[in-house]
Amino acid sequence: MSAGGGGRYVVATDVGGTCTDAVLFAAGEPVRLGKALSTPPDFADGVLAAVAVAADSIGLGTDALLAETALFVHGSTVVDNTLLTRSGAKTGLIATEGFEDTLTMTRGAYGRWAGLTEDGIKHPVATDRAPPLVPGARTRGVPERVDYKGAVLRPLDEDAAREAIRALVDDAGVDALAVAFLWSFYNDGHERRVGELIREIAPSVYVTLSSEIAPVPGEYERTSTAVINAYAGRIARDYVTSLQGLLRGRGYGGPLLVMQGYGGLLPADEAAGRAVGMLECGPAAGVIGSRHLGRLMEDEDIIACDMGGTTFKVGVIQGGAIDYAREPMVDRYHYVAPKIEVVSIGAGGGSIVALDPASGVPGVGPASAGARPGPVCYGLGGEEPTLTDVMLLVGYMDPGTFLGGTITLDAEAARRVFAEKIAAPLGMSAEEAAIGIYRIAAAQITDLIHEITVERGLDPRDFVLHAFGGSCGLLCGVFGAELGVKRIVVPYTASVNAAFGLLSADIVHEYSVTKTLPAPSPADEINAIYAPMLERARDQLAAEGFAGDATALDWSVDLRYGRQVHEVTTQVAGGGPMTDDGVARLVADFEALYERKFGKGSAYRAASMEMTMFRLSARGLVERPRIERAALADADPAPAHIGRREIFVEAAQGLAPADIYDFERLAPGNVVAGPAVIHTPITTIVVQAGQSGRMDAYRNVIVELD
Amino acid sequence: MDPITFSIIRHRLFRVIDEAVITLKHVSGSAITNEGHDLMVSLYRADGSLLMGGVGFLHHLTSAAEACKAVIRRFEGDIGEGDVFLTNCPYTAALHTSDIYLVAPIHHEGRLVAWSACFVHVYDIGAMVPGGFSPESRDIFTEGFSSPGIRLVEGGTMRRDVMDTLLNMVRAPEMVALDLSSMIAANNVARERMVALIEKYGADPVDRACAALVDQSETLFRKRLRELPDGRWESRQYFDIEGETCKVLLAMTKEGDALTFDFTGSSPQSHHGINCTYWASWGGFFAPLFPLLCYDITWNDGVLRPIRMIAPEGSVVNCTRPAPVSLATVGAIQSVNNAACTCIAKMLSASESYAKEATAVWHGSHFAIFMFGLNQRRQEAIGILTETFGGAGGARTWADGIDVGGEIPNPIGRMANVETTEATFPVRYLFRRATPDTGGPGRWRGGNGIEFALVQHDSPEGGINYVVSGKGTEFSMSEGLGGGYAGAPCAYRWVHNNAAREAGRNVNPYPTSLDAMTGEAETISWGVFPLKGEDALYVRSDGGGGFGDPLEREPARVLADIEAGMVSEGVAASVYGVVTAAGAVDETATRERRKALREARLATPMAAE
Amino acid sequence: MSGTRISATLVIDENRAIACAACGYALGPAGGPWKDAARLDERPMQGAGGAPYSNAERVLLRRFLCPGCGALLDTECALAGDPFLTDIVKV
Repeated sequence: MSAGGGGRYVVATDVGGTCTDAVLFAAGEPVRLGKALSTPPDFADGVLAAVAVAADSIGLGTDALLAETALFVHGSTVVDNTLLTRSGAKTGLIATEGFEDTLTMTRGAYGRWAGLTEDGIKHPVATDRAPPLVPGARTRGVPERVDYKGAVLRPLDEDAAREAIRALVDDAGVDALAVAFLWSFYNDGHERRVGELIREIAPSVYVTLSSEIAPVPGEYERTSTAVINAYAGRIARDYVTSLQGLLRGRGYGGPLLVMQGYGGLLPADEAAGRAVGMLECGPAAGVIGSRHLGRLMEDEDIIACDMGGTTFKVGVIQGGAIDYAREPMVDRYHYVAPKIEVVSIGAGGGSIVALDPASGVPGVGPASAGARPGPVCYGLGGEEPTLTDVMLLVGYMDPGTFLGGTITLDAEAARRVFAEKIAAPLGMSAEEAAIGIYRIAAAQITDLIHEITVERGLDPRDFVLHAFGGSCGLLCGVFGAELGVKRIVVPYTASVNAAFGLLSADIVHEYSVTKTLPAPSPADEINAIYAPMLERARDQLAAEGFAGDATALDWSVDLRYGRQVHEVTTQVAGGGPMTDDGVARLVADFEALYERKFGKGSAYRAASMEMTMFRLSARGLVERPRIERAALADADPAPAHIGRREIFVEAAQGLAPADIYDFERLAPGNVVAGPAVIHTPITTIVVQAGQSGRMDAYRNVIVELD
Repeated sequence: MDPITFSIIRHRLFRVIDEAVITLKHVSGSAITNEGHDLMVSLYRADGSLLMGGVGFLHHLTSAAEACKAVIRRFEGDIGEGDVFLTNCPYTAALHTSDIYLVAPIHHEGRLVAWSACFVHVYDIGAMVPGGFSPESRDIFTEGFSSPGIRLVEGGTMRRDVMDTLLNMVRAPEMVALDLSSMIAANNVARERMVALIEKYGADPVDRACAALVDQSETLFRKRLRELPDGRWESRQYFDIEGETCKVLLAMTKEGDALTFDFTGSSPQSHHGINCTYWASWGGFFAPLFPLLCYDITWNDGVLRPIRMIAPEGSVVNCTRPAPVSLATVGAIQSVNNAACTCIAKMLSASESYAKEATAVWHGSHFAIFMFGLNQRRQEAIGILTETFGGAGGARTWADGIDVGGEIPNPIGRMANVETTEATFPVRYLFRRATPDTGGPGRWRGGNGIEFALVQHDSPEGGINYVVSGKGTEFSMSEGLGGGYAGAPCAYRWVHNNAAREAGRNVNPYPTSLDAMTGEAETISWGVFPLKGEDALYVRSDGGGGFGDPLEREPARVLADIEAGMVSEGVAASVYGVVTAAGAVDETATRERRKALREARLATPMAAE
Repeated sequence: MSGTRISATLVIDENRAIACAACGYALGPAGGPWKDAARLDERPMQGAGGAPYSNAERVLLRRFLCPGCGALLDTECALAGDPFLTDIVKV
């Protein structure tokens, strides 16, 4: 599969909770962006609207563009949305008899506190579990049992299974079923048989087997994953197939590739059966986009930040590699699927600034005014001061040019509300208090980034910071400086982060086999485990049109110390097949990685080591045109200078005059000296005193720290 | 102190603890630490007073302050930069010998500015029984290694002689070494981050912010107390060990902005290791107090200032050395937790505005069962059955208790997957589920507890052994509130399938309830037992307490409970007065049934009679 | 029933008496003990909430009931002869 088939354009669309973004490009042409509001539940409307905006910028209609499109890549929040709005199927669960409550018990309090903030955890009386997607009354136990070695102890009682299926389908009226038995990831025979029985008895019911969707140990998380997949499965499948149909109808003849939470693409037909794979694929795409941008700029170590209206999200790329989440959740439901680690806090432009009612101490978020009523300064009825109002008060935003001048910001209203609700109780002027709130927000973000870098043994000083999203450019000069990052990049595509990421992703199939072997074990034994995975991977990639140089196969193994709970996924250096030397190298790499991850002295060498999971990542490398570099002008930004005004300057600890620039008039090669503000149509970049901002050949703004 | 800097420093202090906890979990890697969250890291001021408590087992926050203070007294003038001190003596500060405190001074420019402290329940402590819980011990001397204070690390260098001596006294020394390493690493991280904080904001501003943080907690807590009515509330907890009955009596008095916890009338100390030392009782009531009264207040010394405790010397809540205490954390400490929870909840429910914060008792009785023996890979293994961290929520005044929903003193525990336990111990679960009818009935019912059963599976020695230190089998320890019933008690059964087999009976290998098991079910609660051959161990945990009158519960909720298998039809009719038929509430029958139950109530004698 | 709340089930009424929040039945003067003025149903805890209540036979469930309407005002887990728990609220 290559981007040369049907035309010259590659189109990427990302459906987020609020907006749908489109990015399109072709060799020799600048990257074009489009944005439209998302349109739940029929997200496809928003997709076509965003594509239309982008197509319009090159004077094409949507159909004409699609006819000239070689590749259509897509990411969507549809599955997240199904969970958040509880609009999935009426789902039932078939479990091992005696273990029917595995899902609803959520490993005890785990399901009650996981995903809560610190304040929530400290207040247990106010906590509850999320209501289960399958209540106890729609769960049926079936006699069967497999042991920890995968040996069948008790054969499946097929009559009981039939009865359970009938009871759930006929009496309880379910239209989706999850099947999750103990130890099924070692021996999936019973689950597969029940799957057959369901298809025989109730062919219209959507079925998910836990051993298929999440073949990993840990029955609670595996069951929860199967249930989530069954719950959202039909919606995801219908969504993908209908989008595919819609595009065909509008003249698109190429493949539709769908983004996965692990940062790879899957062909639509395959993605349609794996709803959980699509969870959180937007943030994952953002990290992938950062990695791609980093490659263009020859940076391998990146802190990728994205700050929009409600949250600040951050992921880390180290040595070009991406970390995966340990215990992923969607709306307080656990699942297991490879997912790129992205942590977040409720701090965005719309986050509400408030004083703690008990102590009077000021704080930011997590409550958000959202897009409506939004910040006070939008004049849409917002009554609570937000971070955006703070940005206006500290001089970072220009009331007249916000969002290309589409909204005039009401600075007076913002000042009045902020003075009354925040500044006066603190005994400060509105500006002083706004500066204080700004510093609190910057400190919270610093702490969050600290959490996923320093707390994992990474030194932020080795990293470049990417600032995506509408609000990140306002703060990155301050928190970036406190973290001491090498430099900050505010990408040209900052406002369409995820869609840009889609453009740079490859097709990735993930396979794994759970089996415990002592480490080291003979290479032959390991190669034997990989043989069937390799065969499947090659067949699958070949069917999709990838072979030879257009494919890459990455081997990795999960290892742990004998009596410890932490497993570390360790890359097999140089890939497969394994040799005995390679196994020794793998074990040594694991030990080094373990200490790096968990700290010095954590490796427990007195115990034996074990390999617990064998993973294969099979990539089909998607060909795409290169982004063109613009010619560089000289450094003088004078033509883009549009004025001066007072803004908060960190070094001055107060307001000071700064130069204001128009991004649209900056030319690649221009350098602005801080303190300065650069207004783009969608966002604002603040360059602090002692920093400089340079526009590079891709129109990214590179902020160098002093 | 300017509110902005204060807000930033407060947030950052919390991050310091959080980071230290992550380090501790990472390095330890053990199940009790990682699944049970049986750990704690907190920060203390230079005088050893609590500055900021982390979320862990909460009865340790104040005890570790005592550990800091004890080290300060003992090593006065000889506390160096980079030192780490160990104490686990229950008569000095610790709750029992297995919970080792490592406390470390934090210096800045040569001056001692703060302390960090942490604990984990170590793998073994060299007591009579592996794992530390030692039912047969009759004094502290047989409960393993115990130190009132010893320097483990000197100026950043491990004292090998001390470490080797310590490891020489425990089973599985390499596991204990790892536990200690994890705590040293956590203290190191706390120190580095504190010093970084001081370097950024300056020693004086940070010190002033810390002082302000403690004062702020005191101010807020006193304000809250003033908002609550004055009064005196009583609670009584019983627990049973091998025929002995212990009683913990608590009278909590609130006057203005001060609270007194008076344990006068509690039983004399026991010769079983369920006793609390003074500091164990002190920590015992703070464990529920922090989350119930200070959910929005920083947990520190400021919260301690308005509080007084009266605990009679030589009693089960203030035992005299050398009384045994190895089971304190699952013994009298829990009764102190529970009694305090009840008194606080009664006080809260006397206030219109705070009634929503009141709760019946959660998971009143832990069942700490330790298994030990060779596992299926022929390794020596010791481990707790983590189902005890499953817990059961007490009913709130506005909602049911959460089934298998944890406990208050350890807000973020969890239990391991069946597959995790089966992979590491030579056992097979027969079933594991929430147990219907264990949550205390009420207008809002208590959360149900858990029940499960195990047999040995693939054991190289035909089986393993387990330690049961099970109180709470005779009495219901999760008290109800406002008319709600207490939760059901715990139960332990040794099911004698081997004897049944010998008697020529066919043993059912896959029972999914206690009733379906073949052998005779012997009630057990205390001691070391074998799990061999086809014998099974059945455990049923306690349920949470209920709230309010069960006759006031909405019939639709009772019906939903029946459908979910959480309440039986029998209890629905006899306790809730709800009659159902064919998946619906029989409204008429229910009305009549409730009327009859109410009339029967009015026929009971006056209490004074 | 209006009045000043002193527990989940009791209030102080306009006559400064402790009263049942459901029906207003007076149980004695404010600031004093009230349980003696209630009806008492004392029964074994064993089986009281269903089969899992496998308590020892000597363990009792005390239910203090409103003589006016039969509302369940409070419960105690007790051994025979142990005094009633006394809660005093000063409002």
